[in-house]
Formats: sequence, structure tokens, C-alpha cells
Amino acid sequence: MEANKKGIKKLLAVRGMGQVLTVTVGLIILCIVFGILNSTFFSGRNVGNLLRQIAPILLIGIGQSYVLITGNIDLSIGSVVGMSCMISATLMTKGVDPWMAALITLAACLAVGFINGHLVATCQLPPFIATLGTMTIARGIAQIVNGNYNTDSIGESAKGFRDFFYYGKTAGIYNTILIAIAIWLIFNFILSKTRTGRHIYAIGSNVEAAKLSGVSVVGTTVKVYLVSAFNAFLVGIITCATAGMGTMDAGNAYEMYAVAASVIGGVSTLGGQGILLGTVVGASIWGVLQNGLQFAGAPVAIRNIVIGIIVVVSVLLDVVVRTGKFKKKSR
Amino acid sequence: MEKFIVELKHITKEFPGVKALDDVQFNLRQGEVLAFLGENGAGKSTLMKILSGVYAKDSGSIKIAGKEVEHMSPTKAQELGIAIIHQELNMCSHLTVAENIFLGREMTKSGVLSTREMNRMAAEVLQRLKININPETIVGSLPVSKQQMVEIAKALSVNARILIMDEPTSALTSAEIEELFRIIHQLKREGCAIVYISHRLEELQFIADRVIILRDGQYVTALEYSSTNLDEIVAYMVGREITEKFPQIECEKGKKILEIKNLNAGRMVRDINLELYEGEIVGIAGLMGAGRTETTRAIFGVDSKESGDIILDGKKVFIKKPEDAIKAGIVLAPEDRKKDGLCTKLSVADNIALPNLDILCNKTGVVNMKKQDKMTAEAVSNLKIKLAGDYVDAGSLSGGNQQKVVVGKWLARNSRVVIFDEPTRGIDVAAKVEIYHLMNELKKNGIGVLFVSSEMPEVMGISDRIIIMCDGRITGELDKKEATQDQILKLATQFEKK
Repeated sequence: MEANKKGIKKLLAVRGMGQVLTVTVGLIILCIVFGILNSTFFSGRNVGNLLRQIAPILLIGIGQSYVLITGNIDLSIGSVVGMSCMISATLMTKGVDPWMAALITLAACLAVGFINGHLVATCQLPPFIATLGTMTIARGIAQIVNGNYNTDSIGESAKGFRDFFYYGKTAGIYNTILIAIAIWLIFNFILSKTRTGRHIYAIGSNVEAAKLSGVSVVGTTVKVYLVSAFNAFLVGIITCATAGMGTMDAGNAYEMYAVAASVIGGVSTLGGQGILLGTVVGASIWGVLQNGLQFAGAPVAIRNIVIGIIVVVSVLLDVVVRTGKFKKKSR
Repeated sequence: MEKFIVELKHITKEFPGVKALDDVQFNLRQGEVLAFLGENGAGKSTLMKILSGVYAKDSGSIKIAGKEVEHMSPTKAQELGIAIIHQELNMCSHLTVAENIFLGREMTKSGVLSTREMNRMAAEVLQRLKININPETIVGSLPVSKQQMVEIAKALSVNARILIMDEPTSALTSAEIEELFRIIHQLKREGCAIVYISHRLEELQFIADRVIILRDGQYVTALEYSSTNLDEIVAYMVGREITEKFPQIECEKGKKILEIKNLNAGRMVRDINLELYEGEIVGIAGLMGAGRTETTRAIFGVDSKESGDIILDGKKVFIKKPEDAIKAGIVLAPEDRKKDGLCTKLSVADNIALPNLDILCNKTGVVNMKKQDKMTAEAVSNLKIKLAGDYVDAGSLSGGNQQKVVVGKWLARNSRVVIFDEPTRGIDVAAKVEIYHLMNELKKNGIGVLFVSSEMPEVMGISDRIIIMCDGRITGELDKKEATQDQILKLATQFEKK
């Protein structure tokens, strides 16, 4: 009992845990509501599908959270997903080995992240503008690689690749889910336990103070954009494996989904605050809503409206919980 | 029965975990300048925020001009003529002076801004205060002192009768301070009541009529200024007598640690040559804008250098960025703690650990939390930082404690040279003495201390040697024994003939 209490206290002492717990309660309520509305919501098959739906949102959410915590934003995520999907699929239809194709795609995606990071940190462009530019460019590349057409099927030879990223299971769990969990574990560890993680928070909290404390602002900023691009690459590959072909508009608006997952989970768009556990809950709320509303028979339009409301309400809720009231903006 | 324009009684305010104000009383007469004093964290700012409606009181009563005000809000405070001139100025720096003065109550004619009318009226207010600023100037292009005056003009243009000034002189030069005092006197003559919060007690003789002192959230006393003296005031503030305002220790001057040769970096750092020896504190004096901060920044590698050598312990070191300086053993505790010194949203422990992660991490870059906790605990106890816990936000601390964190994070590692830029700005007497003790401790341990300060008594009291700068150049060097205020001032105003 005593040890238990101490554990809870320690848990609550983690910065940002408060908001995570609040939204977790929201997530549980949502699950209960959908469970009552539809008894098959909790069926093994749906849970598996649901988690597979959450995985990509979680992955891009992790990337966006990294960038947001430094006080920047990455608008190029969706386009990099599209680029990843199209480049890998195109290469595979041209007969390149799927793993080789993935490797080439990875290099291309990381190049975008590298450019993003330097535009923001070295050239001091506002991140919104810099990544708006690379977003458009990356989408253009996604369209041009196969001459402005979606690709044909990536074929039988890519079966192993498709199983690895989407259709296969390991120990009874879909690989996509396992990939997302593994990525989360790695990046959560880096953010919370390592020097690089500290630097990320410090830059988001006060970039001048960080610089004067010997933090390499350029290096760290480039790293977070690389993380974001890497995760977008993974999602693009997963999308390609799922569909068995490349689609030019893959990942459309994903950068905003990633912002939503992060923000619902308590990551501040102003930087310096948030933890990746929150991003898990944020991505889960997103997935549960999509899945649950679909099950309940709601059309896409209604789903969009509901999710939009949830994003606003969850952030509002946090403000209310933290301050105990609607705080007036002081002049 | 005396008539007060402001009367606060039995004010209590609690924040989670701390009682910021405990049954405090406060009053203000019409047409007086009241010096509101207390150490950092004594509760001055909290009380003023309650008076201006930013915070709600937990209990107690607020009377303005004899009328009880139950729920004070910023709007209500404005209606009642209460205005705060903040320590950090609240100006829209991209707008003009007139636009700022009329912000939120712009004059319009059928929906279109009456720009000319507003400019004219702004000019009127400025003229009344004899402030020489064009109302069409962009505020961001003005020096801090002028911005502050614009803020005063803004308060007056909404007919403020009660002006609260929070550390108004902390960023001003002495000439600018004189100008401010002139304006304060004029406001007083016009019948404004002024609450003046400052840590620079020497200033009080020029303006204060009365003094109210708080300590640890409690009311201590109210005194007529004419019937008291600074020693008494300080004793009330601290709760004990401070015997040594500038503690000094004698050390043997050892071997040369640092030598700067022909350092150039922009207009504000020109041909700087200086030497620093073991066992001494070298003060850098000068007026605001003399290039002192720029010099320290160039040495530390924040700003790029055009030319010059830095020789540390006889070896030439190459410093291109702060990381290089830290690695070499030169560290800088910067001047503006909110802007440059602290990550206010991170915990005290994180802040202290930030520049020392190389020590705290293992080879793979994983932070050793045990080591971090130990380092934080040591820094907190050495510097007597008052904390609810190591993991509270650095931004929630009082100014003095924040400053101690800024200093503390650099002392957790072994450095050869520590540069302090205005380490005692805006902090109270007791905290100042603690910082001085700390500098002495470094000096005793053979670490070179460079120390920039705008407060003459401090430079003279703490330094073993004083370097004076003006216009980006070193204009003189004085030994502690031969230095006088006059001499320093003369060197500090030795501008180039043009």
C-alpha cells in the first residue's frame, strides 16, 4: 500500500502527467460509450483493426511531438508520407528489391528532414513557412516520380515486405502495431532519459538560454526534423504495404492529424512541454473516434466535425483543469 | 483620521503550498511617493497584483478613495485609475507610440481610425510630461527608458491617479533615472499617488515620502522617510542587520589564467585587451551601452568575433560557440535571466543540469538521475535557494532565487573562468550578499572571476581590479585601492572625439 502510494506520487511528479491522466479518462469514457453503442466494438477483431488504425497516427504524432516540443512545427509530414509511399512503390514496380527500395526511400525522406532542420535552425526561417515550402515540394515529388499517376500493384515479389509492415502477425499481434510500439519505446526513452531529450525541451522552453548553456541548437533542431521525417517515412512504407500500390495523395493532411494527436495528449504548440505518453493517448482518442463513429454508422462529414470539436475541447479542458477556471487573458 | 486613497486591510493570499500574503495591510496617500520595499519573494508583487485586479484576494478588504471594492478586476482597476508600469514592459513593439497609448480605446470616426487626432492627443500627453518623443515613432525602435516613459504617458492618458512602478530603474542609465525622477515629481505635483518598488535603496532619498516594508508575506512596518535611514530600512527588510554589504576576502594573486588579446567583434567590442589572474575578481564598469555585455558575449562565443586571441592557462583556445567556451572552462552567467538565463517552463533541476549534461550523462547520452539529484541538492543548499521541491518550475521562483539558479548551474562544474553579467540586478540585499560570498568562494579556489556591473558601489566593493569601458573600448584600468567613483565615471564617459 505504502509502496503503491509512493509509486503514484512519483508518477504524478512526471511533468505533463496531469494532462495525460485527464485525457486518459476521456479515452476510457469514449471506449465505454462506443462499447455500449456497439457490442462488437470490443471484439478481438475490431480491437486489432483499431490498433492498426492508431499505429500510423501514433508514429507521425511522435515525430510532430518532437518538433512541437522544440517550439517548431513540421507541416511537411503528410507530403513526406506521400513521397515515401510513391517512391518506394515506384521503385518496386520497376523491379527493385522491396528492402532496397525502402532504403532509398528512407534516404530521400531523411533529406527532407535534414533540409527542414537547416532551413529552420541555420537559415532562421519561420518553421511554418519553411515546412510549408518543403511540404509542397515533397508532394510534387510524390506526384512526379511515377509521371503523375498512381503506381500499379507492387506485385507478388513484395509479399514479404507487405506482410512485414501490415498483414503479418508476430506472437498474435499485427506487425504494424509492434513497429509502432517499438518506435515509441525508443523515442520515448530518448526524449525522457537522454541528453538529446533534455536539449529538445530546453530549446522549446528558451532557445537563448539553451544556446548560452552550450546546447547545439542547430544540431538538435535538425535531429527533431529527422525524427519527424523518419516516422513519416515509416508511415509511407506502411501505407504502401497496406494498399499494395503507391497513391499520390497518401498521407494527405497527416501533418495536422499529427498536431492533433500531440496537442490532445498535452504537447504544447509553444514548445517546452509535453510527453510522448500523451501522444499515445492523443493518437488513441483519434483512432477510437474514427473507428467508433464508423461503427456507429456516422458519415465521414460527421466524423470530421466530431473530431474537430474533440481537439478544441480537449485543449480547453486542460486549460480549465489547470487553472480551475476560464482564465482571462491578461493584457 | 487620515485620508487614504488606497487602503488594504487583512489581505491574505495563498498559492498552492505557499502563503504569499498573510494578513497584510497597506495604504497610500494622495500625492505621495510610497517606497514599497521587501526582499525578493516578500510578496510585494503579489499585493500589487491584487490591487490591480490581476489576482483575486483570498480574504481582506480593498478600499479605493474610501469605497469598498469587493471584486477587483483589471478593467475595474483601470476605471478606478490604477495603473502598473511593469518591470517587463508591456508594449506592442511593432506599433507606434500613439497606437500604443490608445491601444484598446482607439478613436474612430464612422469606423475609420482617427490617426491624426490620436497622434495629436498623444503628443499632448507627452508634452505635458516634457517627454521628447515623436508619437509616430515605432515603440520597438526606442530605448527601454523611453518605452517606459511612453508607458507612463499611456497610464496618464487614461487618467490614472494611482501609479505602481515595479523596478522602473533596473534597466536605466543614471541620466535616464534622473529624467524619470523629474517625471515622478511632476506626477506627484499633479496629485498622483505613486507606489515605487525598487531594490536600489540609494534612489529613495530623491523621491520617497514614506516607506512600507514587507517580509516573508507579512507586514513589517510603515515609516516616514525623513525619520529613518537606510540601515534601519535594510534591517527591517532582512529581519536582521547586515553587517557587511560588500564582503571581501584577501587572496594571493596567483598566475595568469586568462588573457584576451586585441578582441574585435562589431562596433561595441573594439580592440579589447585584458588579463585575469588567479585569486582576483575583475570588475568591468561602464555606462549602459558601453559594450560590456557584448564583450562577454564575444568571449563566450555567443556572438562571432572578427579578430583576437583568447589565451587560457597559457594556451590559445578557439571559441566559436558557447559549447567551445564551456569545454575550455569559461562560463557565462548572462544578464537577462528571463531572456537568456533560464528555461522557465522547466524544473530547477533541469535548469541546473542543462549545461552539465556532459558530466551527468554516460557514454551513450543517458542522463544519470541519481547524479542529477545530487548535483541539484548541492547547488540548492550551497546557494540557499528557497524551493518547494527540486522539480518546481524555475519560472515560479522569485527573482532572487531565479538568479541563484542561473548562477548555480555554472558552479556545479569545474571551470577556470566564470563571467558574471549583472549578477545582482533586481534582487534583494540578502541575496546580493550571498552572490558576493559565492564569487569570493570562487576567487579563493583560484578561479578567475570577471564581473560586469552597473552599480558603482558594488563594482568598487567587490572587485580587486576595475576595468572601465566606454563606447566599445577599454578606457582605463584602476586598482581597487586607487579607484574612486569620480575617476570611474570620468573614464566611463570618455567618448571618442568625433
